[in-house]
Amino acid sequence: MNKNSWMLLLLVVVLALVVAPVCTMAQEKIIKTGSMYPMTGRPGLYGLDSVDAAEMAIAEINEKGGVKGYKLELINSDSKAKPDYAVRLAKRYIDEDKVHFLFGVVSSAVGLAVTEVSKQNKKIFIGTDHASTQLTTEKFQPYYFRVSNNTFQSMAAGALYLKELKQTKPWETIAYVGPDYAYGHDQWNELRFNLDRFGVSYKIVGVYWPKLFAPDYTPFITSILKDKPDVLVSGLWGGDTVAFIKQAQPYGFFDKMLFFSPDAGGNYELMSATGAELPLGLVLSARHHNNWPETEANKEYVAKFFKRTGRYPTYAAEGAYAGIYAIAQAVDKVGSPDDTEALVKALEGMKIPLPEDPEGFTSYIDPETHQIVQGQAIGVTVPDDRFPPAKRMLGNWKVYKAEDLLPPKGFKQDMIKKQ
Amino acid sequence: MDLSFILVQLISGLTMATLLFMVASGLTLIFGVGNVFNFAHGSFYMLGAYFAYLAVSSWHTNFWMAILFAALGAGVFGMSAEFLFLRRIYGRAEEGGFQILLTYSFILIIDDVVKLIWGTEYKTLLRPEGLRGSIEFVGVTLPTYNLAIIAIGLLIVVFCWLVLSRTRPGRIARASALDREMLGAMGVNVPLTMTVVFGIATALGGFAGGLAAPLRSVTPGAGIEVIIDSLIVVVIGGMGNFWGAWLGALILGEVIAFSVVIVPEWASVVSYVVMVLTLIFKPEGLFSPRKVRTV
Repeated sequence: MNKNSWMLLLLVVVLALVVAPVCTMAQEKIIKTGSMYPMTGRPGLYGLDSVDAAEMAIAEINEKGGVKGYKLELINSDSKAKPDYAVRLAKRYIDEDKVHFLFGVVSSAVGLAVTEVSKQNKKIFIGTDHASTQLTTEKFQPYYFRVSNNTFQSMAAGALYLKELKQTKPWETIAYVGPDYAYGHDQWNELRFNLDRFGVSYKIVGVYWPKLFAPDYTPFITSILKDKPDVLVSGLWGGDTVAFIKQAQPYGFFDKMLFFSPDAGGNYELMSATGAELPLGLVLSARHHNNWPETEANKEYVAKFFKRTGRYPTYAAEGAYAGIYAIAQAVDKVGSPDDTEALVKALEGMKIPLPEDPEGFTSYIDPETHQIVQGQAIGVTVPDDRFPPAKRMLGNWKVYKAEDLLPPKGFKQDMIKKQ
Repeated sequence: MDLSFILVQLISGLTMATLLFMVASGLTLIFGVGNVFNFAHGSFYMLGAYFAYLAVSSWHTNFWMAILFAALGAGVFGMSAEFLFLRRIYGRAEEGGFQILLTYSFILIIDDVVKLIWGTEYKTLLRPEGLRGSIEFVGVTLPTYNLAIIAIGLLIVVFCWLVLSRTRPGRIARASALDREMLGAMGVNVPLTMTVVFGIATALGGFAGGLAAPLRSVTPGAGIEVIIDSLIVVVIGGMGNFWGAWLGALILGEVIAFSVVIVPEWASVVSYVVMVLTLIFKPEGLFSPRKVRTV
């Protein structure tokens, strides 16, 4: 072999090394999803759990070969839980990263802002963990889909629980404490709407609006004690619930009234943060529970999440997990992530088997409102140390059927009398 | 509103005020002595909470040792931040802008470091033995830990008053607030004074964080939650006025405690209303001497 032949061979080898990966990259088709989760502050845990669960779902799907020759990919940027910042992020995802789907968000305020970007750009936005009902009622737009329950559904379940409670533990007076923004106000309005709808009598003795992320609730606690309600409904979430419970406990607060938080109060983070300090007998719920339903699918999901991250998931995780499976199923049906209108059609009415589905039920997306339809299980805090560091979990479940929790057709927030 | 309820609400306001004061006093001390607005002061409060958590959960120390460790740890970090970074911008033409940028960057860095070490899950600290319950007093329930916080706050006020007014270091600190150059000319090591004052102020913040940990959520971002209210306290009391911070905290704590009962729907904005009124009618702060305005 002369010198020129050697040079030629070398050139071929170099070219092969350089070009081959490019060719493979060009052949690899990607479904790009741009998520906007908060990664700092009190909602940071929700963001972290969501991203971990979404990546877990992506790994599961990609390991099985992806969807119709496509691999799934998630890009996440910290939304800082700020609407204006998330809007810029969503626009960047669409214009520069060319994502196929917008995804995520924890705060309803951010959700309401991002859904406008989705509408203007005709880009599908999969909402995984913000609960304000407005997104699927008056602010409905065809490119928005939500894969976790909204506050109306949890408050309808809450109202049914309170109705049944009258039989076993008669109550009459009620007070409310919730964060002073859309999410807190929606819950209170929708609970009253549902109590009225189900013919439950009640008398309001106090309504309180602390700031979101307030560090100190003591004056609220002492004022609620003075009101002496039979039931205190709490619309607080995350660290706010933790702080409220810690501060209320030495007053003997939980012996004096029923603490009732049917939307997010029963999230696993409360149990893991408070351990044995968490009082027994609180009535709580959340959008997913690590110990309900006791189906193989739920057990497997929780165990897989734990294996991957070393911690048990909060409910936010399951929303993100559901979102990725919704995307995968839609692309599988349509054959491509580029035909937005066909994807919208595919998502409408789609059945998505999820860890939170009890035996005999499969979650599905309502074709009219684009809201996922799921049941709600409300439980009571009981000793249970199967999910450390928690020492209490929810038990003594009451389960409400998905179809009983939907808002009446044409429901809007302004149909509710302001209080 | 009966008398016993007024007493309960007063104590609620006082608990809130004491923790507010402990954070705000450090903020105002740094401003008074060093003319530095430390945006990151809340982050030292958060560090204190995490240090207390670390001491109890990993080293199994008793609660009070953990609180002391929290103060010490936050103080050492504060002194390092002053010595390594803030000192470099003193006296620059645009010092104010640099201060805000630099101390704001501390918030972001400290938050992320805390997240890397302890994760985003909420951490919890139990109240110390013997202070987990409550006492009954004239028919009302008062949590013993809240009463302890109020007592500790009063001790700190008295201690700081003694140090600032009766000791040589206290006099140096006050002199430094008035005229740093003259103090230097008289042979006092001014840079060292600044570092030590910064350390004491951040230690107060850390102490407050440790003390508040059994009542609140220990989480990254906890610093931001307290800095706004502390800033309001400092504005009400007068920037750099130590006693102003105490009285400002008392006013704010009680105003919030009673507005929750009287105007519950406005409770989340009353603190801002008090601040705005102060800025309109006495911008120097309620407890600072009125400045003579010259044209």
